[in-house]
Amino acid sequence: MKEIIELSDKTITIERNEFLKVKGSVDRNLYYVESGSLRIFVLDNYVEQIIRFGYKENLTASLDSFLTGKPSELYIQAIKKSVIKVIPKEQIDNFLKTESNQNLWTKILENLVIQQMEREIDILTNSPKERYERVLRRSPQLFQEIPHRHIANYLRMSAETLSRLKKS
Amino acid sequence: MQSENLIQSLIEQTRKVINTVEKLKDNDLQTLTWKHDQNSWSILECLEHLNLYGNFYLPEIESKIKNSTTKSESEFKSGFLGNYFAKSMLPKDKLNKMKTFKDKNPLNANLDKSVIDKFIEQQVKLLDLLSQSRNVSLNKVKIQTSISSLIKLKLGDTFQFFINHIFRHLKQIERIETEMKNA
Repeated sequence: MKEIIELSDKTITIERNEFLKVKGSVDRNLYYVESGSLRIFVLDNYVEQIIRFGYKENLTASLDSFLTGKPSELYIQAIKKSVIKVIPKEQIDNFLKTESNQNLWTKILENLVIQQMEREIDILTNSPKERYERVLRRSPQLFQEIPHRHIANYLRMSAETLSRLKKS
Repeated sequence: MQSENLIQSLIEQTRKVINTVEKLKDNDLQTLTWKHDQNSWSILECLEHLNLYGNFYLPEIESKIKNSTTKSESEFKSGFLGNYFAKSMLPKDKLNKMKTFKDKNPLNANLDKSVIDKFIEQQVKLLDLLSQSRNVSLNKVKIQTSISSLIKLKLGDTFQFFINHIFRHLKQIERIETEMKNA
């Protein structure tokens, strides 16, 4: 991943609650979260549904827009003050002209596909308790870094339900 | 100008507006309602003034987009009047005072922090409408202004005018913050 981060030509700092991306924009950047954390959500009739988090020392993007160059519905907002390295798509495209780099990139994308599948199973799991346990097993990091009201939203349950599950 | 470029630029401007106003939430009510003198506006009054405009324009834009049978066009050409209105809204270095219509004047209204939430909600609506406007003609859809139902502007110009008006008052909020520091 180091090779990818080095492609960044810009580092930005965003304050808590600031938006990196809003609905309808085209965003062909990959973001590396140096510090802080991000949440990625959709707004459906003013109701938020968080679909992913961007953790410290991880890559994140509005992947739909990144790949297609088309507008995306996603919002990306800072949960706390965050330092973000910005990697434009052109940099990645250039990087991939070297054949040996393509393997690395394929690995990253494969990893993403697996994560998406896990996430899909999360969402389709009926029992709130199982949803909670799956995510806890997979990403204990989540519970260290992200305020629990956001985790509750991600898990599609009320903050009260999540707090009850944590105690049991 | 390419319609898509205009829409993307307006969405980006709206993102900046939201980020600026999100920061205002950290202030207490005393700061938000501070005013230089009885006849000037507080930060909340500026935002409420913008909300009153949003109450007029956003439903108007929404219904015109919904009922439009026009198709999206790759080029947008600003109208004479629309261009003039949009430009006149931009804040200048030296304060160019403007008259506020009475029904858009929130002076001394009893306001609280919910004004900020309302404002952010309106920006979310605006983002929705900007996305929807990709499916219609920014040239042919016409929006009537709050000044007179006889004066209509192109949808593309209305968006720019609306957002410039927001920038104008965000600039005013910056000035209020400076005055407060020096008071």
